[in-house]
Amino acid sequence: MPALTLAGLALLVIGESHLSQANYLINPLYEDLTAQGAKVHEIGACGASAGDWLKTITVPCGAERRAGAAVIKGRDATTTPIKQLIAASKPDLVVVIIGDTMASYDSESFPRAWAWQGVTSLTQEIAATKTACVWVGPPWGNAGGKYKKNDQRVTQMSNFLATNVGPCTYVDSLKFSKPGQWSTLDGQHFTLAGYKAWSEAITRTIGELPEVKKLKKS
Amino acid sequence: MNTRYFLAIFTACTGLTAQAVEMPLYDTGPSQDAAFVRFVNASSGAMEVKAAGSQSGTTLQPGQPASSFYPVRGNANVKGFFKNASLQSDIALKVKPGEFATVVAMPGSAAIQQTVLRESPDDFNALKVSLALYNLDAQCAAAGLNVLGRNATLFENVANGTLHRRVMNPVSLSVQLLCKGQVRPVTLALGNLQAGQRYSIFVIPEGLGSKLLIASDAVSR
Repeated sequence: MPALTLAGLALLVIGESHLSQANYLINPLYEDLTAQGAKVHEIGACGASAGDWLKTITVPCGAERRAGAAVIKGRDATTTPIKQLIAASKPDLVVVIIGDTMASYDSESFPRAWAWQGVTSLTQEIAATKTACVWVGPPWGNAGGKYKKNDQRVTQMSNFLATNVGPCTYVDSLKFSKPGQWSTLDGQHFTLAGYKAWSEAITRTIGELPEVKKLKKS
Repeated sequence: MNTRYFLAIFTACTGLTAQAVEMPLYDTGPSQDAAFVRFVNASSGAMEVKAAGSQSGTTLQPGQPASSFYPVRGNANVKGFFKNASLQSDIALKVKPGEFATVVAMPGSAAIQQTVLRESPDDFNALKVSLALYNLDAQCAAAGLNVLGRNATLFENVANGTLHRRVMNPVSLSVQLLCKGQVRPVTLALGNLQAGQRYSIFVIPEGLGSKLLIASDAVSR
């Protein structure tokens, strides 16, 4: 029987809308991570970008799962400053799953300076707590839909994150599937089968990271 | 320096607070990129910089002459003024989305002259150092920097009123100024440049010569 890749690790997972509905990523990911031995605290906030996790803002929807079932929230959902979350959860590893809320899919140009400001603010805030972190980038969607997600911009967003999330380790979700392979409801949010596939790939990849293996030994 | 209050005043002046619009169920980012402005005091004395219609601001000392970059609304009017012991000079500019503008108060006894330099960087990288040379010295044509102790050039031929930026590996080094290819007796220890950080070196007139100053290109939060 293979060893559990995340045995004994406390994980704090924050993210956007993908973590904010019961039939989205929040449940499969919780189950996959805990199945690998992790103690998991997940929080999703619809529409929240990286910089929104340095403060408390109200978002249109959200969810949280720490133990038991996920608590799905409506317009009472908020973000919480990352330092506050880390102080409360005391995680060994922070997992950030943000990308689609920062790509401006419906705009002609990619908001590079804004993205840089938000991403570096969050990574520096996490680094200041000396907590290890992993940043999971956006996956392929289906071109079009109401969010106008498209392959070109999601590639640009992923490439930007790959070079700017340090000292967090970047996990490139574009390597997990081919464009359009996972079915979506609206071009951006997957059917449950897609979320299960994404969850399995995230869990497997995080468990194989040398930085995470080192955490288990320390 | 009360940067938060200063920022609040500046953003109010530029209408940033009026940006709130009905948010879609899941936002995918802003409709336009962020814009930033900072202020640099190239004079030999202290210089106040304030937002128009406010008593709040910050004082830029000669030893630490650059403010942080303040977020402003792209293409909105940014208004304020520089003020020293005897002179005042109004600030008025617009900053494009994605642009980082630097407003410099130049030395002079008759009036506070201003120079505005702008850049729209695309070199953001958490693993590299981003370093710029701003030439603000009209007496130093084609400014350059050599690395002290090594046969290496960091910058060359930066015209007055312009800037060049480059990325490099994190390193600790000192530099020497060149004007029109001629080495000048002006050096600066840059310290330990950190990965992911952005810096600017300013060539500023000082008496009959020049001086070098370094500032972190930090964004005010």
